[in-house]
Amino acid sequence: MLIAISTMARADSQGIVSTNSNQVEAEKLLAAYCFDCHGEGGEGGLNLVGLLEQGDFDGTFLFENLITSKMPPSDMEQPTAAEKQVILKWLAARQNETAPSSFRRISRHEFVHSVNDLLGTNLELENEIPEDRGTNDFDSDRRIQLSKEQIESYFSVADKLVQHAFPVEGFPQEKIWITNKLRDSHETYNIYVRDYKEGTLLSWTRANNGNSYSFFYDNFEPPVAGWYDLTFDAMKVGEFDGDVSIQVHSGKYYYADDRPQPQRLLDVISLSNRQLESHSVRVFLNPGENVSVHCYSQHTYRNKNPTEGAYIKQLKVRGPIQEQWPPKPYPTVFGELSLKISPERGQNQGLEPTVVSGFQSNLKKIGGKLTVSSFQKGMEKEKMQDGSNRTFWHTRFEPTIADSPHFVILENPRQIEIEGLSYATWSGGNGNGQVRKFSVFVSDDGKTWGDPIIEGDLEIRLANEQPIPFTRPTTKRFIKFLITDSFSLDGRSLASIGKLDVLVGFKLDHPKTKVVVDANSPDDLKRVVRRFAARAFSSNLSDNELKSYFGLGLRRLAKNQEFSQAAKLALKAMIVSPRFLMVPGKHSSPSYSKVAALARILWLSVPDDELLGLANEGPISDEVLDGQIERMLSDQKSNRMVESFCEQWLNLRSWRTITPSLKLYPHYDDLLDYYLPMETTAYLEYLIRENLPVGNLIDSNFSILNQRLARHYGIEGVVGQKMRKVSFSSEVPRGGLLTMGSVLKVTTDGFVTSPILRGAWISKNIVGTPLSPPPEEVKAIEPEHGKTAATLREQVERHKSDPACYACHKSIDPYGFALENFDTTGGWRTKYRVEKPHRGTFQFRLNGYYDLAQEVDASGEIGNQEFGNVFGLKQALLLDHKKVAYNFAKKFFEFASGYKPTLKQRIDLFNLIENDPDDCRVRDLIKKVLVYSLEGEEK
Amino acid sequence: MSYASRRDFLKFGAALPLALHSLDLRKAIPKRATPPRRVMFICNSLGFYRPNFFPAARGDLSSSKYLAGIKTKDKLTVFQNLFHPGMETSNHDSEKSFLTGVPKPESPNFINSISVDQVLAQHIGNETRFPFLPLSIYDRGWGCSWNNRGIAIPPMNDETKVFDKLFGKEDLLAKRQQIANDQLVVNCLYRDIKTLEKSGGDAAKIDSYRVVITELEKQIEHDAFWLNAQKPEVPNTLNTDVEFAFSNKIKNMLELSKLAFQTDSTRVITFSMDWIYGAIKVPGATGGWHTLSHHGGKKDVLEKLFRVESDIIQHVNQFLADLDGIQEGDGTLLDHTTVVLGSNFGDASNHTCNNLPTIVAGGGFHHQSHSVLERPTPLCNLWLEILNEHNVDVGRFGSGDQNLNLLAS
Repeated sequence: MLIAISTMARADSQGIVSTNSNQVEAEKLLAAYCFDCHGEGGEGGLNLVGLLEQGDFDGTFLFENLITSKMPPSDMEQPTAAEKQVILKWLAARQNETAPSSFRRISRHEFVHSVNDLLGTNLELENEIPEDRGTNDFDSDRRIQLSKEQIESYFSVADKLVQHAFPVEGFPQEKIWITNKLRDSHETYNIYVRDYKEGTLLSWTRANNGNSYSFFYDNFEPPVAGWYDLTFDAMKVGEFDGDVSIQVHSGKYYYADDRPQPQRLLDVISLSNRQLESHSVRVFLNPGENVSVHCYSQHTYRNKNPTEGAYIKQLKVRGPIQEQWPPKPYPTVFGELSLKISPERGQNQGLEPTVVSGFQSNLKKIGGKLTVSSFQKGMEKEKMQDGSNRTFWHTRFEPTIADSPHFVILENPRQIEIEGLSYATWSGGNGNGQVRKFSVFVSDDGKTWGDPIIEGDLEIRLANEQPIPFTRPTTKRFIKFLITDSFSLDGRSLASIGKLDVLVGFKLDHPKTKVVVDANSPDDLKRVVRRFAARAFSSNLSDNELKSYFGLGLRRLAKNQEFSQAAKLALKAMIVSPRFLMVPGKHSSPSYSKVAALARILWLSVPDDELLGLANEGPISDEVLDGQIERMLSDQKSNRMVESFCEQWLNLRSWRTITPSLKLYPHYDDLLDYYLPMETTAYLEYLIRENLPVGNLIDSNFSILNQRLARHYGIEGVVGQKMRKVSFSSEVPRGGLLTMGSVLKVTTDGFVTSPILRGAWISKNIVGTPLSPPPEEVKAIEPEHGKTAATLREQVERHKSDPACYACHKSIDPYGFALENFDTTGGWRTKYRVEKPHRGTFQFRLNGYYDLAQEVDASGEIGNQEFGNVFGLKQALLLDHKKVAYNFAKKFFEFASGYKPTLKQRIDLFNLIENDPDDCRVRDLIKKVLVYSLEGEEK
Repeated sequence: MSYASRRDFLKFGAALPLALHSLDLRKAIPKRATPPRRVMFICNSLGFYRPNFFPAARGDLSSSKYLAGIKTKDKLTVFQNLFHPGMETSNHDSEKSFLTGVPKPESPNFINSISVDQVLAQHIGNETRFPFLPLSIYDRGWGCSWNNRGIAIPPMNDETKVFDKLFGKEDLLAKRQQIANDQLVVNCLYRDIKTLEKSGGDAAKIDSYRVVITELEKQIEHDAFWLNAQKPEVPNTLNTDVEFAFSNKIKNMLELSKLAFQTDSTRVITFSMDWIYGAIKVPGATGGWHTLSHHGGKKDVLEKLFRVESDIIQHVNQFLADLDGIQEGDGTLLDHTTVVLGSNFGDASNHTCNNLPTIVAGGGFHHQSHSVLERPTPLCNLWLEILNEHNVDVGRFGSGDQNLNLLAS
């Protein structure tokens, strides 16, 4: 696959003549403009004369310096535009470039989005496919090859999606749960919430290790994976300014010690009113996850028995939601074929949702009963079944002590399949009676018990539920939980239990609605396959080409399988087929390839019916193409592109893995972590939507913020957590990508900022300055913000004394220095923070553990432009909008095409940029680069 | 422990797997006379601070700060002066070359080749349910394992998923159905590939797809075969401590490795310890591991780095001791398991790759505690020796053309 484009090496007659004349002219120009400094022993370091004599060198660095006008320096004589073109063209023509591969695999993100769109599902399964981007910049990189592991996971995710679209067992019916009860939580943290009116009042609680402390709701567990509407009836309580936030999390319930498990943050509700209102969020939940809430307001930090904060009257859960009925996958895949639904339901929502409220144990749900060996008054058996482990059952100790054996018998009169028991200790006492060892027996009559079906140990200090799964489920009528050893402070024979319940599958109380496709003819099946293939492959294939896929479905139809089930395997085969996974595919016409590429780039997906219709009609005119790009950019699905492009271009994917030190930056919390990257994508979305000048990438007088971000940035008057455009005065250093918390945080390790790393990253990714790798055998300088150490600046300034370092570092360090006013989290600082020791184990506190050290000096000089701080830097960068636009164009080209533009293509890209900064706009530029990259695809 | 291997099955003839539903495997298969041999490669991608790692006094492990406390001292050799020729300096991409020896991994046109663990997996991996197990502590998509086309094999970094893969109960009926369906799908795809070829599709594209489908087909056959044998039942001993997540992850991965070897679920494991981003916490120190690794010789930074690296060494130490505590045949599990601990960096602070800190433990070799090579020697010579010691004769491997001949007993 290696195709050398170099014309230098080529022996065909015409090439040599033109190359030679170009070369002579280019060399003359280089001699005129560059040799003064870059001759032999010249002060510029780089010896161009030597390079040209040597002949075979990589001209990229030269090319980039020239095209971005970094060279010749602004105070030297400049080549004319035409002269510059001569040198650039010669450099591009002589460059030895490896032709990119003609194809690539689709990425995991493209796979999941495409399949969701093809099937009409909405499942986020990207994380079940390994990340194969490696150290390449973009997912679309054509150097990434398909591996067996990757296709294996495509196979299994395809199964999951097809099964989710057409579940053989039917669709779980929608239910409603209403609860106002929080699950039992650790007493240390329980004091920050209290019963209030009909529900709960929460104050802001961070645990001792700094994690957000979440309170879990009882009485709701998602029976199946799916989308659920969570409606909180809630209000803000308190006279302070600003909204109170409720963070809605999901995760495994923990009975917290000091180290609560991090939860998945699903959404945020902002409470501004002092009146009870309903706030709904739609979230995706998996079985085994519980819903938890965390209240956030800086005014209510750890209020004991709070009087201010967030009041939540109740939580109403509705789900799993089917957005439409019949479920979307049926019309999407089977079109007009009629359906049979049982039990029947109405057009929209047929069945009345089941309402569950108040606590109900599983044993009660299956109509079961309890008996115990003995009990102490006030500590009856019911206390094991009330959902709390503050109340408990205890064997009799007054007036006389009950003798062992101590046991509990659970009766299962309807003989429902029981998978095990769930046990919890009682909390808050002295530990007397906690169970250490147990045996479980089963019996048909409650008299003859036989050998235990399971024996085991229980943790006496652990307060959360300890499941006791049976090796196989039982339907026996009686289950005996025999306590064979228990803890006792004084050696007396005692036993006590906080909670005891049975574990049952949720199948029994979650009825399903079955949907079958009312068709059985082979022609219908072929029609379905043909339609799906056209959408998945963006091609009009003949029946002969589709034969193997027909075969898979017809075979099953012939075996009398239900139509949709018979079609499943053919659907799966199509979404793991080379026609789908390897792009560009083999399309039936250039128009089909064009719409496929458009959909892949702008939507990370497959073309919709409108695009396919156009492709079917024949060639697509430039005007129609422009209209379609406009339509696609305005479609919600283009957010996937913006998000994906930001994530990759600006490294936001590795962003979450960096946790700022809570000693230095105690203000860093879940909300900030949640919203910082959102600012970046929302900002770029806005620039694209409004088609603003590219200079906005560097600076602007607005950003997309909310209350939390505005507070972080010190901008006043922003209330509520909804992201919206916020304009600010020119004294605010924000606006533009450089000064966003997300971008500022990405190169740090959570403790310190390194002006070198940050500078190099900004220089490379946003400003677009070409950098060559550091020379070998150079000792690295690492940041050290200390009181005694030589200042960081002094250390870094040493770069200046060594020309080998300074040649590059003069284009790196200044960016880093100008941004020194921003700490690891992107907050503004005028002094460095230095960590201070704390006594004993770390305990989170709002003031952190740090001292202020020396003043920040953010001045520097870039390309002869001196600046005092970030404001000056932005001014200097805005002087040349073309450099910024050129970098953006190159990045977007790479994102769209899957390879770095060749030098020839870079000349074309540069020529797409408008000369007037006001005419050079983000949406226009994206469109131009997109159309240009589509042309490349067609060649 | 019995070793019900694929080879044993084959000895019983082709009919056996069909009959196995009704047979108790342990009774049906005779115990192997000699325990199998396994290999594990552990790569610490941020290196070890060499003054703490290498023994100060030649041959005396107690003169190494890190190795003084190693419990299995007589079953281990520290190698000094190994490197990959052509790779004196590099960047973090150097981990890609750790087990392959291909120079210039940082170049944009870098093409890797097969890694030594994969060569071993091809030769000794087929007898177990999992031909090899690639592990890491961070989700990045690549580690040290590269297939015969030089493509990264994504390692698994979620210990719960690994445990489930190794020992989790399977719904055999559903799995059987799944395998049957996948075979139908694969056949359908082969037919479509032919159609594509006939209609003049891009040959390179079709080939690159066909090769993975063929590999997948083999994998499905392998899985179908192993459906006839039950997975070993093992109690879940993974640690769920969240305070020292980094430390705990390493511990769990090593525990899983022990269990996988002990149950003969696999014979080749590769473990990449890569954690470039963010801060980690180990007993006594918190900091960005990557930042700390660029210590620049500063004392307080080195102190923290010492804590991190000691923590890693301590887990490996315990792992080796655990293996050595498990009796197997006439020796211990460690005697039948070659464990390599090394790094792609000689000095991570300066991104240099000479004098790579390398340990070989176990494997029943004649160990010499500390081996200082006269001249810089290709690490691939050590890989070649390990290949040879496992009866894999490949002539040469990467830059290695000469068996080191230092381990043989």
